[in-house]
Amino acid sequence: MKRIVATSLVVLAMAIGALAQSAQPADQTETVKALLKEVTELKARLAAVEAKLAEPAAAPAAAPAMTFTPETSSFVRGIKFQGFGEVGYKANDNPFGQSPAFGFSEGSNGNFATGDFDLFMTSRINDKTSVLAEIVFEAADAQSFNVNMARALLKYDANDYLKMSFGRYHTATSFFNQNFHSGKWLQTPTDRPLVVQFAAKGGMLPTQAIGASITGKIPSGKLGLNYIFEYGTSDTVRPDINSRTVATTDESNGNGTTLGLFAKPDFLPGLEVGGSFYHDRLNPTDTGLHIGQSIYSAHLMYLTPRFEFINEGFVIQHAVDNARTYHTPAFYSLISYNVSGKWRPYFMYQYANANVNRVVLDDIGLRHGPSAGVRYDFNSYVAAKFQYDRAMRRNPLPTINSATTQLAFRF
Amino acid sequence: MKTKSTVFSIVAVAILLVAAYSGIAQSGGNVAVVVNPANPIDNITAADLHKIYAGDKSSWGGGLIVAAFVRTAPSHERDVLLKAIMKMTDSQYQEAWVKKIYSGAAAHEPLALPSNSMQLEAVRSQKGGIAFIAASEVKDGVKVIKVDGVAPGGAGYSLK
Repeated sequence: MKRIVATSLVVLAMAIGALAQSAQPADQTETVKALLKEVTELKARLAAVEAKLAEPAAAPAAAPAMTFTPETSSFVRGIKFQGFGEVGYKANDNPFGQSPAFGFSEGSNGNFATGDFDLFMTSRINDKTSVLAEIVFEAADAQSFNVNMARALLKYDANDYLKMSFGRYHTATSFFNQNFHSGKWLQTPTDRPLVVQFAAKGGMLPTQAIGASITGKIPSGKLGLNYIFEYGTSDTVRPDINSRTVATTDESNGNGTTLGLFAKPDFLPGLEVGGSFYHDRLNPTDTGLHIGQSIYSAHLMYLTPRFEFINEGFVIQHAVDNARTYHTPAFYSLISYNVSGKWRPYFMYQYANANVNRVVLDDIGLRHGPSAGVRYDFNSYVAAKFQYDRAMRRNPLPTINSATTQLAFRF
Repeated sequence: MKTKSTVFSIVAVAILLVAAYSGIAQSGGNVAVVVNPANPIDNITAADLHKIYAGDKSSWGGGLIVAAFVRTAPSHERDVLLKAIMKMTDSQYQEAWVKKIYSGAAAHEPLALPSNSMQLEAVRSQKGGIAFIAASEVKDGVKVIKVDGVAPGGAGYSLK
């Protein structure tokens, strides 16, 4: 383009020169004026073309403007991993030694164990949808491990009043079960209280299920009411916690329903009061019995960065073939205080009383006793715990004293 | 003579340190709470700010999802949030969020950004955006809201 215009100008100049020499003087003035005007216009056009050509190469028209969008930001996209682990030593004076169900060697009165190794991951799909998964490598007898898909949830949070989750979840049968899961670093004591222990480790509640969980706020002003509804299939397989072998009872649960209500009032941040009701039917393997199971729970807790006070009470009702009904009361109470930012002494008392003639939970019997310990946080990632437990049982079963040290960490 | 010189030097250094500290302390100033102009709210309570940054409130009215942003440490804005609203240390704040996300009660923590200009751009681009930004650095494209009915610089304004 540039060359064409330049050539045109040269030709015009030559023409002007030729005309100037050959034309008659009368016409020359007008002709020259017209040609000079044309040259001036062409020069202007050339300058415009040159200016345009001199501009830097334009950005591709399709390239979008760069803006900050958290949905596409590398800060939040992808899968976020967190991990929790533990290693500990536990000694006890149980004449039959330790049960193999807790990650300690069968029959041992003192050995090391790694406990649960927990891989926790989350991923945002968009601002309302996310995925949460928790895979736990559970320590079993003699340093063997079981892989447990503890939680796998597709979550959709429409707003504060409607939050839905689908997949495998920890049931809302207890506050502890819903908040502390498998990461020992998150909880103050070395292990869960027996009543809220995972069912696969001897706990008394259906702790896991597959189905749907819906929760959210209830418009209630400063009272801060929340609801929770769950419908899913649990499959509780409990070990006999008194057995030296891994004897289990498969409760073959039917579908279970959980209804919960709790308040987190504005006037005292950290306070939570609530309760739940759970119902399903059990068909324990090889018994031919059908048992209606209803679990009533209530909790009162007060949590601040320094102070921790958790109390939960339960009544577990089993109606066997609509003929016999057993009630099992259980509770635990935990109190701790962070005295210096690193040291947290704590005290816990737990109680459970199950009829030994019943079909399920017969291994529990009467158990109660205190636990006392101290937690030391080296930093925000590693904590050491030292705990003493005393479990008093119904005669003739002897009392069990145990001492546990645990190094719990997150990464 | 030497002792006198040493004492003079110590006093001079002390005066410089005090002056420097005073400068740092005064560099704080009011911190404004800003939201996207599309958000209809003009006022927020300290209790609601606590809920947002504790993961207990995740949506505005009308289903608009809260997109909370926070400055990375160390920063005056983060300090104000932690001391005046959350009433906890930085490590306590981080641990609380680990527990919150682990419990499944919240999907993600507030996105930590290293500068106020990034916070401004983030709030501009997110209808549900909210951030703490030094009042002197607030620019167009965001809306400053009152906290407990008081605007930044007003009598009794708590975020400074």
